[in-house]
Amino acid sequence: MMWKFGRRSALLVALVTLLTACGGGEQPAREEGQPSGVGETETFVIGMSQCNLGEPWRVQMNADIKAAAALHPHLKVLFKDAGNDTLTQRAHVEEFVNQGVDVLICSPKEAAPLTDPLKKAYEAGIPVIVLDRAVFGEAFTQFIGADNKLIGEAAGRWAALKLDGQGKVVELKGLMTSVPGQDRNAGFRAGIAESDLEVIFEADMEWLGPKAREEMESALARFEQIDLVYGHNDPAAQGAYLAARAAGREKDIIFVGIDGLPQEGQVMVREGVLDVCFEYPTGGAQAIATALEVLEGKEVPREIVLPSRYFTADNLEGGGEWLEKPSDVKAKPRVKSGP
Amino acid sequence: MSWRPIRSGMNVISKWLHSFRALSNMMAAPLIRAALALVVILLLGAVFHADGAFFDWNTHRDMLRQVSVYGMLACGMTLVIITAGIDLSVGSVLGLVAVLFSMMTIHQGWSPYVAIPLCLSAGALCGLVSGALVARYALQPFIVTLAMMVFARGLAKSLSGGQKISTYIQSEAGHFESVPLPPIFSTLDNRILGGNVAVVTVLFLLCVAITWVVLRRLRVGRYLYAIGGNETSAHLSGVPVGRVKILAYGLSGFFAAVAGICQAAQETQGDPEAGATYELTAIAIVVIGGTSLMGGRGSVLLTLLGALTIGYLEKILSLNAVGESSRLMLTGAIIIAAVLLQRRQGPGAR
Repeated sequence: MMWKFGRRSALLVALVTLLTACGGGEQPAREEGQPSGVGETETFVIGMSQCNLGEPWRVQMNADIKAAAALHPHLKVLFKDAGNDTLTQRAHVEEFVNQGVDVLICSPKEAAPLTDPLKKAYEAGIPVIVLDRAVFGEAFTQFIGADNKLIGEAAGRWAALKLDGQGKVVELKGLMTSVPGQDRNAGFRAGIAESDLEVIFEADMEWLGPKAREEMESALARFEQIDLVYGHNDPAAQGAYLAARAAGREKDIIFVGIDGLPQEGQVMVREGVLDVCFEYPTGGAQAIATALEVLEGKEVPREIVLPSRYFTADNLEGGGEWLEKPSDVKAKPRVKSGP
Repeated sequence: MSWRPIRSGMNVISKWLHSFRALSNMMAAPLIRAALALVVILLLGAVFHADGAFFDWNTHRDMLRQVSVYGMLACGMTLVIITAGIDLSVGSVLGLVAVLFSMMTIHQGWSPYVAIPLCLSAGALCGLVSGALVARYALQPFIVTLAMMVFARGLAKSLSGGQKISTYIQSEAGHFESVPLPPIFSTLDNRILGGNVAVVTVLFLLCVAITWVVLRRLRVGRYLYAIGGNETSAHLSGVPVGRVKILAYGLSGFFAAVAGICQAAQETQGDPEAGATYELTAIAIVVIGGTSLMGGRGSVLLTLLGALTIGYLEKILSLNAVGESSRLMLTGAIIIAAVLLQRRQGPGAR
């Protein structure tokens, strides 16, 4: 029996060691010393509750926050990932409140279930910055987000210019049960409303590149002429490109994506995979800027709508073209290759 | 008025009944029933042909490519399910191997001759660990492979830092540079035989062949059925139950690794989220084919038919641009219909 106990306790020790090693990085810095109220040497702890790190765009949001905070040594950011689970995120918010963080940043999974926990944090005197998705009511310090409808509309206007007002379009939609999917769809349709662009095939690709590739294969099988593919995110447009390339038709088609992450959409444009991508900014840097202002006691606006830019092969090196309104887009009509 | 026409009519009916009985006898063969489900789906395709797109070979070629990765997972799943087990970890192992393969070939620039064996071993190792836990500690396969599913996904995310491993690499200055895609990616995502068959489809059929040999031509195949049929009597008959189970899970991990490499090649990147929920599709393929979840009965040819059934179903819904919500409902309904068709008639059926 002895050896059995021995093995079990060894396992336990190993587990505890592992857990301590994993958890070690998440201890709030304040406990490590630094008496509070010593001016600039004071360390502020920011809690960041992310709803789902399974999405590269959200990984980028965390990276942006981390990079922005790294410029200010007196800021320490604690990251929590709710793994796309609403109640986990609610628990994370409550943990941050109990822990007494100085600022709470939250990119909520859903509005309704997180409105109340964030309100409690706000009422407990913790500045609350809400990123990307809004919550209900007014019980937060600032909401930072971009407008998917405007970005979709800009993409639609760009497509209409590029195709000189007429052509056949495939739209690969994100989840149409999600608000970003609905907005990117509605915006695009508004953008092409005044042109003769016709959406001949649309399918839900659930934000996934491989699924987009399958749907595009169906579109290619059905339609001889496809002039442009509008993907609700860059991986979708890339998946469509892969399908078109396998069919030898990628040269005839313009590929449009949204999100414009530096390691995704922007490089796809540089590679010639995408013709254009529209940035959906994460707001990570803005969140840290707001946090600093709040910590200095400044008043901040209740809402910030982040400006977007778009990247094409021509403007990529210059950092893209900023958009104030959808009609700011510029595109030269394409010259059709071959007869 | 003569009785003659009526009598001859009776004759016709009795002949009819006779042939119907012959048909229903034939229907007793699981392979025929699985084929029937496929034929029904194909008829659906012929009716809803989407302006003739269904009759184009390219459609079928693309369907075969799409279903290949699921089919590979289903090959390993068949082996495990025949032992009355289940392997929920295949989707995560696929994701882990996709990340590993991309890191080795794209980031490290290793030769595929090194990377592929290493990746296949990594996948097999995941399976062997699950198998060893199931066999040695008599743990439930469901919970062991559930744990492996979570663990492998975590490992994939931690190795990749949560980002897709693509040809776009961050340089030291913070810019993203692109490196060329290693040739092995395009080799695997290519088509052969005059562009008519995807390489991954050939690999899928190879996996089917390996599974068939294991089940039908090797002694271990009979052991797998024996364990699924009755583990105690298999043990008493001298079947090395533990080792055979470990082998089954190991092979499942191996096939998941093959699928992971193919997934990475088709995506041109290693996505740590790749393969999520694929295990459910693999199980559906096996069950629609007619392999019993209770173990002891089934074959990989049934799984092949199940893969084609699921593949064509997806393709037909996609060609006709059926909306996502109706697609989910239709898929659910058709899976139930196919399984009902599969049901063995009579008492003692399971």
